[in-house]
Amino acid sequence: MELQQFPLVKDQLKKCVRCGRCRTVCPIFAEIRNETVAPRGHVFMVQALRDNKVLPEKQVYDRLSNCLLCETCSINCPSGIDIHELNKAARSFIYKKNPSMVKDLFLDRVWTNPTLMRLGGLALWTFNKSGLQKAARSLGLTKLLPGDLSQAEQIMQDVPRRSARSILPEINPPRGEKKLRVGYFLGCGTDLFSPSVAVATVKVLTSLGCEVIIPRDMKCCGLPHAANGKIDSARDLMIQNLKVFNSLNLDYIVTDCGSCSSALSEESLKLLLVDQGYDEEIEKFCSRLYDLNKFLLEVLEISPRELSSLDMKVTYHDPCHLAKAQGIRREPREILRMIPGLELVEMEDSERCCGGSGTFSMTHYDLSMKVLGKKMDSIARTGANVIATCCPSCTMQLKHGTNLYGYAAPVKHPVELLAESGTQFRQQ
Amino acid sequence: MERNALKSHLKNMLGPDKVLTEDLDLLYYSYDSSFLTKLQMVSPDVVVLPRSTEDVQKVMQFAFEHRIPVTPRGAGTGETGGSAPLSGGIVLDLSAWDEIVEVDAANMQVTVRPGVIHSDLNDHLAAYNMFFPPDPGSSKMCTIGGMVANNASGLRAVKYGCTEQYVLGLEVVLPDGRVITTGGMKSKAIKNVSGLNLTKLFVGSEGVLGVITRIRLRCFPKPKSRGIVMAVFDNLDDAPATVLEVYREGILPSGIEILDSSAIRAVNAFKPHINLPDAEAILLFEVDGNPPSVEWEGTTIVKIAEKRARQVEWSTEPKRMAALWEGRSVTAAAAARVRPDGSRIFAGEDIAVPLSGVAEALRRIRALGEKHGIQVVNYGHIGDGNVHTAPVIDPENPAEVEKVMELVHDIHLLAIELQGTTTGEHGVGAVRREYARLEHGPAVDVMQSIKKALDPYNIMNPGKLF
Ligand SMILES: Cc1cc2nc3c(=O)[nH]c(=O)nc-3n(C[C@H](O)[C@H](O)[C@H](O)COP(=O)(O)OP(=O)(O)OC[C@H]3O[C@@H](n4cnc5c(N)ncnc54)[C@H](O)[C@@H]3O)c2cc1C
Repeated sequence: MELQQFPLVKDQLKKCVRCGRCRTVCPIFAEIRNETVAPRGHVFMVQALRDNKVLPEKQVYDRLSNCLLCETCSINCPSGIDIHELNKAARSFIYKKNPSMVKDLFLDRVWTNPTLMRLGGLALWTFNKSGLQKAARSLGLTKLLPGDLSQAEQIMQDVPRRSARSILPEINPPRGEKKLRVGYFLGCGTDLFSPSVAVATVKVLTSLGCEVIIPRDMKCCGLPHAANGKIDSARDLMIQNLKVFNSLNLDYIVTDCGSCSSALSEESLKLLLVDQGYDEEIEKFCSRLYDLNKFLLEVLEISPRELSSLDMKVTYHDPCHLAKAQGIRREPREILRMIPGLELVEMEDSERCCGGSGTFSMTHYDLSMKVLGKKMDSIARTGANVIATCCPSCTMQLKHGTNLYGYAAPVKHPVELLAESGTQFRQQ
Repeated sequence: MERNALKSHLKNMLGPDKVLTEDLDLLYYSYDSSFLTKLQMVSPDVVVLPRSTEDVQKVMQFAFEHRIPVTPRGAGTGETGGSAPLSGGIVLDLSAWDEIVEVDAANMQVTVRPGVIHSDLNDHLAAYNMFFPPDPGSSKMCTIGGMVANNASGLRAVKYGCTEQYVLGLEVVLPDGRVITTGGMKSKAIKNVSGLNLTKLFVGSEGVLGVITRIRLRCFPKPKSRGIVMAVFDNLDDAPATVLEVYREGILPSGIEILDSSAIRAVNAFKPHINLPDAEAILLFEVDGNPPSVEWEGTTIVKIAEKRARQVEWSTEPKRMAALWEGRSVTAAAAARVRPDGSRIFAGEDIAVPLSGVAEALRRIRALGEKHGIQVVNYGHIGDGNVHTAPVIDPENPAEVEKVMELVHDIHLLAIELQGTTTGEHGVGAVRREYARLEHGPAVDVMQSIKKALDPYNIMNPGKLF
């Protein structure tokens, strides 16, 4: 699609009055402090690109990628512009004109194929454990990743040995009487880097009478591809996911990953697959889709019974894609508060991006670490001994932060803590 | 000087971190919030990000020697192209230089570097129970340097005035690189009439006389209490009449805002839950001070308003006040909603007329909009006659752009005809300089002589103001 035809470019670009409200809220602007990274600057650049004032070249792409896609600008924009979507569209447009082989290989061949992803994860784990990062680099595996993996390696330090898919079966029967048939959209990040979250999700859901299906032919939600300019790949992935999940006769579809659920929202999917004839499929899929926290509270209506006490001080980091993109802020906190003994302490600016943002921490390591530094400061001020969040990318980044700053606190999904405290629930 | 030589000179002089030279990076400095810079795109040759008076001094000495134009820039939220480099040269982006140098609470003043953001300053001062009263709508993004250079103000100007009333002294780097301090080299006095008032000369000078590098501001004690009155009118003329009667009663509200029927429609289309009553005009009065005086002023305004208004409401309860005020606070963003494919533009947006001319101004602006076939939304600070007009057009349709420019011109002429001014707070910049002579006559010659005395080669922000 040419840039002009992209719906938001057509309708929203002209609404920007460059008032600059986005400058002051942008976490990247807070670090770089010049107009080239201001979100309104990105809007300006998209316009310049559309009007052929600049060419679709890599250097324009690089400037547009100085952005976490955290959506803080968009939710603060007085003119209601989806700045992050304009940015993504422009990146994709440039990308098509200048495909870069390295990223293509990784994002198209590896990240679209669960088996290869698992192998990649396993390989990373092996190299981590055997201290062979250097060898990995010379073998060329690291080159498959976007950006400089010598730094990315640090973020991926704790790649678990087994992915969630290799631990969990496709069909997980309910404990007791079957009440609902639930499809689990197991995101790549959770699968590879936080399998314990997936295990906890399945444990909690099955204990509440859900049969949990983890379709083997499910694919990535496409968010990393869209963020890296590969909208076509993102489309193909989601078309496959719609087919898979819509054919399964499910009561609900649940995901524990904030980034996946935002990419899978009706609004995002309709934008991604605009004019492709999938509206009905999308509606069928999205009408049953739930973020796990919301699902537990609103559909299963859980309330705690005989949960064992967890004596801990927890602070909750709001993932951008959950809080800003979907307005889910109360639910994860409510789940945490259910757990006896657990003290929830709010950090300052809990919605401020942690700088992880999927592949951003790998492609822009130094910048990402500066953003992380601010987050770690506010976490440290709470004195919490556990950090909770609902996104595997945030989890990786925050874990890296705890290592970098020597802050001894594990990073957990609320569902992990729920599972830890027992799986005895009362449904109202 | 040749562009590449200019870039490498500045990099050598200041270090690479403080200088942007790549063509693409420079493009981002072609705009501010004006409609003008959406129509034309002129990049600087180089951007400098100074962090000290010495940095600025070096740049000015160099620019003076080589006759290179210099455009100071704050956050680029100006509506007039003021910080856009119309003839290339150097842009000085001062927005990252944002140090609060000293809060002198004992003397009710604060000293800052130019890049401090207005709302950040007031957040900081709150701990001392003080505030810097001018309050532009751009408070969360504009810099104090930009406010001083534009003599900015906001909806509380009716009581608290403009930036100029609070500037006690400035450090300025002159076009030739000399550094001066106005308001007394060491003075911390709040009152000071010694010497020619150079501080006032530089406030509102829009970057054409020098670069402001340090600002000493007077602060006020923070009022303890606030209240809001909303009054709904079926007849537009009743709104200014009510305002006048409130003044005559001896009340000076901290803000008096008007939404006319166009703004009411826009707000309701944007946020239906606000559900403003359909009317010819809505007035919002804000009163602040100590609780008993706020109570008295509020209830007195209610009594006065009830004589003419269809509906009046008064509240000091924070949630209700926020709800009453919400209509006003979303108007700017709501304007575009009067037309699905339209955008609000910043042009002809800031006239000020005498209070007695506000109703006529609003009516005639609406008529001018109809004449040119352009939808307009009107709102503003009626207390001081400042009318904000938001033309809503498809900015990508050249025929509409042409029409709106004619409308804007007519609005500016109307302001002068009604004994007002083309700009009440946003300034002149590049977009209103053609009216300088019409507004000021031979006084423009004196302005130009002053400019020439300080800036003989016309390197400071050329093409602006007059
Ligand atoms: C949504 C919105 C609402 C607004 N509401 C108001 C309002 O209510 N009241 C109001 O008065 N204005 C308002 N404005 C206009 C604008 O925000 C103000 O004029 C503001 O003071 C400009 O500050 P800035 O930092 O953005 O300066 P810029 O736009 O960057 O610069 C403004 C002018 O000041 C000069 N300048 C900047 N810094 C310096 C310096 N250190 N030394 C010398 N010259 C300098 C520039 O050359 C330029 O001429 C609004 C703008 C927007 C976008």
